[in-house]
Amino acid sequence: MEADLTMRTRVGENEKRARFQALCESLRPDLLRFALWLSRDRSLAEDVVQEALLRAWKAQDSLQDDRALKPWFLTIIRREYARTFERKRLPTVDLDALVASEEPALAGGDDPDLAELRLAIYQLPEEYREPLVLQVLMGFTTAEIGAQLGLSTAAVLTRLFRARCRLRALCGEDVSQDPEDDGV
Amino acid sequence: MMECKQYRAALLADPAATTADMRAHAAACPACAQFTRRIEAFEARLTRAMRLPLPVPPAARPSRPTVARRRHWVAIAASLIGAAGASALLWLAVPRSSLADDVVIHMAGEPDAWRRTPIAVPPAALDAVMQDAHMRLSATAAGFVSYASSCAFRGHQVPHLVVQDASGPVTVMVLVHEAARSADNFDEQGYRGEILPVPGHGAIAVLTRNQNLDAAALDRIALQLRAAIRWTN
Repeated sequence: MEADLTMRTRVGENEKRARFQALCESLRPDLLRFALWLSRDRSLAEDVVQEALLRAWKAQDSLQDDRALKPWFLTIIRREYARTFERKRLPTVDLDALVASEEPALAGGDDPDLAELRLAIYQLPEEYREPLVLQVLMGFTTAEIGAQLGLSTAAVLTRLFRARCRLRALCGEDVSQDPEDDGV
Repeated sequence: MMECKQYRAALLADPAATTADMRAHAAACPACAQFTRRIEAFEARLTRAMRLPLPVPPAARPSRPTVARRRHWVAIAASLIGAAGASALLWLAVPRSSLADDVVIHMAGEPDAWRRTPIAVPPAALDAVMQDAHMRLSATAAGFVSYASSCAFRGHQVPHLVVQDASGPVTVMVLVHEAARSADNFDEQGYRGEILPVPGHGAIAVLTRNQNLDAAALDRIALQLRAAIRWTN
């Protein structure tokens, strides 16, 4: 009876761990992209995501709701990135050098416009780039972005508005009909 | 009545979250309608640009075990013989990761997709997601698509759509790289669904959390989506 219960518990734990692992694997590509947009450095992004996955694995029992996993990972990545940046005093990435070296992160495949747009995204200040990535890549709502970044919804909307205006200008889009920025 | 400046600012802040006021304004203002089309096209490019190319992870690369690795496994196997009985029982009791399991797990990581929304995905954004997987979707035949994302699934990027059916949101994943011989229904962890084979193009997975939606309704939606897809390769 007791042995049966122990075995069922083990099976339950194995299922739970396999499920958690599969969930992490499905999230990993976008987490890596998020870290890349944040750090502009592929090896740093990979290190930070690896560390985040390790922390998540160790702390998986404390996570009650699968839906919280994505924001939870992002919080770990942002903290880990800030910690690494502070610890190593990393040099700022020179965007011209980035282009010259044809960093694969900018590759646009058969669409040269994509490489140009990616460079423009990298040129955005972090305060605009991060909410934009959270919205477009990670599919977060403005309220969720606000919770993630500790900002009000109004402040998030302002940053997103400014991010798109700057991006469009950097890409040579016609911005003559864009509204002026007077604090959306 | 909303002004053009307000409308454009709101659109630039969150193009996917248009309100009834905004839609009414765009319908009445040709200049803003044109502005919207430009922003939608830009947004589709932005969505594609955000999906930076990633190197194939080592786990996804097939590898042949070396002699040393085989010896290592033989040694491990030998050491485990003593515990084989209990381990085998435990192993047999653990369910394999089936395609349906993986679809359910993927959905658990995408809670945003289940939101009931009256806003359709802009055609340009939908096109961008489908183009990534070398296909097109006839929006009129597919129904009301409220969510579209190109998602990583079993080592491939696949279109993940949400169609707002009369009974609620239904998720659809187009799994070009998966093989399914016959239609398969599943009911796992609060999700009901169907894997429908697409001859020559893998399978379509249809999934709902609505327990009132029966197998026939799921089948109808899966067939509707399958008919709405045009393969471009």
